[in-house]
Amino acid sequence: MKGGFEVVHATLDMIQPHHEPIWDFASVGFPTTSTVSSNPRQTVENSCINLERNELSEWVEQVTKQLIDDLPADTGTDDRTSLQEVEASMVCEDNFAPSQLGDFWPRKTVRRSFLDGSFGAELQWGNDLGNQTNVDVCENGGNDRGLDEQGLSLLTLLLECAVAISVDNLGEAHRMLLELTQMSSPYAPSCAERVVAYFAKAMSSRVINSWLGICSPLINYKSVHFAFQAFNNVSPFIKFAHFTSNQAILEAFYSRNRVHIIDLDIMQGLQWPALFHILATRIEGPPHVMMTGMGSSMELLVETGKQLSNFAKRLGLSFEFHPIAKKFGEIDITMVQVRRGETLAIHWLQHSLYDATGPDWKVLRLFEQLAPRVITLVEQDLSHSGSFLDRFVGSLHYYSTMFDSLGAYLPADDPNRHRIEHCLFYREINNILAIGGPARSGEDKFKHWRSELARNCFLQVPMSSNSMAQAQLILNMFPPAHGYSLVQGDGTLKLGWKDTSLLTASAWTSHASG
Amino acid sequence: MKLSSAKGASPSHNSFHSKRRSRHIVPPFQSPDQLEPWSSVAVDMHNNTNTNNYHHHQLQNIHTSTSLSSDYSGAGEEPCATGDKWASRLLMECARALSDKDSSKIHHLLWMLNELASPYGDCDQKLASYFLQALFCKATDSGQRCYKTLTSAAEKGNSFDSARKLILKFQEVSPWTTFGHVAANGAILEALDGETKLHIIDISNTLCTQWPTLLEALATRNDETPHLKLTVVVTANIVRSVMKEIRQRMEKFARLMGVPFEFNVISGLNHLGELTKEALGVLEDEAVAVNCIGALRRVAVQERGAVIEMFKSLGPKVVTVVEEEADLSNSQHDFVRCFEECLRFYTLYFEMLEESFAPTSNEKLMLERECSRSIVRVLACDDEQDSGGECERRERGRQWSDRLKEAFSLVRFSDDVVDDVKALLRRYRDGWKLTQPLQDETGLYLTWKEEPVVWVSAWKP
Repeated sequence: MKGGFEVVHATLDMIQPHHEPIWDFASVGFPTTSTVSSNPRQTVENSCINLERNELSEWVEQVTKQLIDDLPADTGTDDRTSLQEVEASMVCEDNFAPSQLGDFWPRKTVRRSFLDGSFGAELQWGNDLGNQTNVDVCENGGNDRGLDEQGLSLLTLLLECAVAISVDNLGEAHRMLLELTQMSSPYAPSCAERVVAYFAKAMSSRVINSWLGICSPLINYKSVHFAFQAFNNVSPFIKFAHFTSNQAILEAFYSRNRVHIIDLDIMQGLQWPALFHILATRIEGPPHVMMTGMGSSMELLVETGKQLSNFAKRLGLSFEFHPIAKKFGEIDITMVQVRRGETLAIHWLQHSLYDATGPDWKVLRLFEQLAPRVITLVEQDLSHSGSFLDRFVGSLHYYSTMFDSLGAYLPADDPNRHRIEHCLFYREINNILAIGGPARSGEDKFKHWRSELARNCFLQVPMSSNSMAQAQLILNMFPPAHGYSLVQGDGTLKLGWKDTSLLTASAWTSHASG
Repeated sequence: MKLSSAKGASPSHNSFHSKRRSRHIVPPFQSPDQLEPWSSVAVDMHNNTNTNNYHHHQLQNIHTSTSLSSDYSGAGEEPCATGDKWASRLLMECARALSDKDSSKIHHLLWMLNELASPYGDCDQKLASYFLQALFCKATDSGQRCYKTLTSAAEKGNSFDSARKLILKFQEVSPWTTFGHVAANGAILEALDGETKLHIIDISNTLCTQWPTLLEALATRNDETPHLKLTVVVTANIVRSVMKEIRQRMEKFARLMGVPFEFNVISGLNHLGELTKEALGVLEDEAVAVNCIGALRRVAVQERGAVIEMFKSLGPKVVTVVEEEADLSNSQHDFVRCFEECLRFYTLYFEMLEESFAPTSNEKLMLERECSRSIVRVLACDDEQDSGGECERRERGRQWSDRLKEAFSLVRFSDDVVDDVKALLRRYRDGWKLTQPLQDETGLYLTWKEEPVVWVSAWKP
C-alpha cells in the first residue's frame, strides 16, 4: 500500500489569514470595508459572460413550471429572485449582515429576464470554446438547434410517468417506464436522453420497491468512492467544496493550538491533506489536530485514518484520528470526545448518495450541544424534502444541469463520464426518487440547512475573500471556463453551471462557542 | 404463480396493477449500516491536472480490503452479497424461492436485486437487472404484458439504419454471427457446385448479411455464373419493416456482381410449418438449399419435427443450420433448471459482449436489450400465448442433430471450409476457437473461452 499525499502549493501559502478580522467577535460577520473593497464582486471569467443558455435544464424548467405552480407553495421561499438580482443587491451594501436567510434563497434559480430573442436564435449545444472537441451532439440528422425532438418527447413521457407515480398509479407508470427504458440510452450524445435513461431506471426501481414494500438502500461504497474521485478530476465542484471550507476552517483556527475537526462523512479524506499542509506551516506554529472521521464502514475509516496519519507525520503535524462508523445524527454526544481547550470545526459536504447523517433534527441538536467554533456547510441546491413530484421536478432540473456540465466537456463515449453519471449521479437520483422522501423514510428533512442554522443559535460567518480567491483558482483549472458560474452573495459562495446554482458553501458559528 | 405485494395487501388478486395498498415500510432484514462494503480494488487517484503549478494532493493506491460477509443462506440471516458473481448467486436463490413459493424469501431477494442491479453497470449488475425484470414479471404474472410493451417499444425505435449498423458492428467485433455464415456458405457452395439454377431459402433475421460473400464467390469461381434465386423467410417482426431496403441493396449488389438474381420475401407467417413448396416458389429444375439461422429455435417445440419434415419435402440438396448452444426448451416443467441454463448462457453472452465492445457502446446496449426481451419471454411467459415464433426456446446442437437425423444425414464440412472458418476467427480477438467433435461429428462449434456457444451443421437428404 503506497501511502503518500503530495501537497504543494505556493499560492495556498499566500492565503494565510493573518490579517483577516473576520473572527473578531466584536464584529462577527461584518468584514471591514477594506476587505470588501479590495475584492469587488467577482463573477470572473468563469461565470457566464457569453450567456449561453443551459439547454436541457431550461427546457425542463419551462415544462415543469406548470407542475411547480400547481404544487402547494413552500414556506419562506416564495421569493424567487434570480441569483444575479440577489447578488446585485449585495454589492450595494457594505454590510454582509448575518442574513435572515429564509426569504432569500430561490428555491431554484430562475431564468434571467432576457429570455427571448435578444440572445439569438442560435441555440448552441455544448461548448464552442476553442480546444474542446465538441462531440456530434444530435444524432438525429441535421437538427443542431438545441434540444431535439427525440429528447423532448422522452422528457415529456418521463414527466407523465412521474405524475402517474405521484398518484400511485404504479401499473401505468411501470408500463410507461418499460417503454422509456427501451427508448433511451445513457450513452447517447444527447444529454436529455441520458438523463431520461437514468431517471426512468430510478423510477422503475421505485415501482419495484413500492410493490415490495421495502425501501432500504444497499450501497457499493467502493464504486461510489471511485466515481467520486473521477468526478473530482473532471469537475470543480468537489474541490470548490473542499478548498472554500478549508479556508473558512483555517480562519476559524487562527491562533488556536488545539483543534478538532469532525467530518460528517469523510469517505477517503481527500479534503484534508491540503489543510494539514497549511496548518503545519502556518506562522503561529502548527496546532495539535484531532480529527473525528465519520462514515459507513469502520474498515474504510481506519484506512482513511492511516493515510491521513501518515501524511500528517510527514508534515510534522501532531495528529490524532478517531473513527466513528455511525451516522452523526445517531450518536451520543459523548462519543465525540471533544476535549477542553479544543477549538471545534464541523464539516459537512452534503450529497444525495445515501443518508450519511441520520435524522435532521438530531443532527441540529448535536450541533447545538457541541457548539463548534465553525460549521462549514456545503449544500446541494436541491431539496430533499417534499412530495415525490417535488423531488422529481427539483432533481430533474438539478441533474439536467449536472449532465449538461459534463456533456459540455466530455465526449459521449468517455468511460469516465459514464462512470460519474452511472455511479454517482444515478446513485443520487435513485436515492432521491426511489428511496428518499418522508413517506418512505418516515422522517422530515429540512429544506435548507442554512435556514435552519440561522433559526437556531447559529450565526453566519460570511465566506471571506480568500475563500473566493481559492474558488477562482480552482475554476481556472477546469475547462470549459465559460460554463461554470461562481457567485458570491449573502455571505455564501455558490458554484453552478450557467445560470443554475448547484452547490452553496457557507460557514456558521455557534453563539455559544469560544 | 401469483404473489401478493406489500404486507397487508389482499391476496385475492395480483395487486400489482392496482394502486398499491399501503405505504408501510417493511424494515429490511438487515440494517444497511451493517452491510459490509464490497471487496477491494486498488484505487489510484492520480490527479493529472497540473496546470498553474497547482498540485492537488494525491491519494495513491488506497486498498480497502474488506472481509466477505457470509453468503445469504436463508431468510432472517445476514443477506450479504459480496464478491464475484454475486448476481448469479442471488438470482438462483430467487428462482428457487419462486419455485418453492417462499414468499418472504422472494421479497427479500427481489429487494436486494433491485438495489444492486443496473442495466448500465458491470456484467453482474446487468444480468441482475434483466433477470430481475423477468423474475418480477413472473412473480406478478405480468410477463406477457411486459414482453409486448418491450417489443413494441423496440420496434418503434427500429429503422433500417439502426438495424444495419447494429448487425455490422456486431460482426466487426465478434465472430458470433459470421462464424455460421462462413461455414454455411462453404457447405452451400460445395453442395450446389455445378448447378445452374440455384434457389436458396434463407430462414433467418440476418438482414441478408450472409449473402454478399456468397454472391461474390458465385461471380468469381464459376466459368458460367449460375442464376440465383433468394427467398428470405423473415420470422422476427422487427426485421419485417426493413426488408424493402434490403431488397434494393441486394438487387443492386447482384447487378454489380453480374449474378442473375431474383429476390423474394416471405413474412407474416404464424408458423414455419405453414410453408410449402408452392408458397416458396420452388421450381422443379432448381437446386435448393435451405439455410436456417437461429430460426429453428423460434418454432414451437412440439412442431419442430414437422418443420424438419417440411424442409425435406422441398427436396433440398443441402440444409444448413446454425443455432446457439443452450437448452431452454423446458421452462414449464422445471423452472429452476431452465432458469439456471438461461442464466448460464446469457452470462456468457453478456461477458462476450462486454469484452468485444467499447464500454459505452450503444450497439452493445441494443443487443443486451434484445436479450432482455428474450429472457422475459422464456422465463415469464406461457407458451400457449406464443404466436409467430416470438419464443426462442433454444436447444443444443446435439438435440437438433437428433431431430435432423430423422430426415437427413450429416454432411461433413470439408477441410477448405474449416480452413476458411479458422481464418475468419484469426481476425478477431483472442478467446475464439473452432472445435469439431470427433466422435459424432455433429457439425462445428464456435467456442469462446472454451465454452461452446454457436453450432453450425450441414445436412443432405
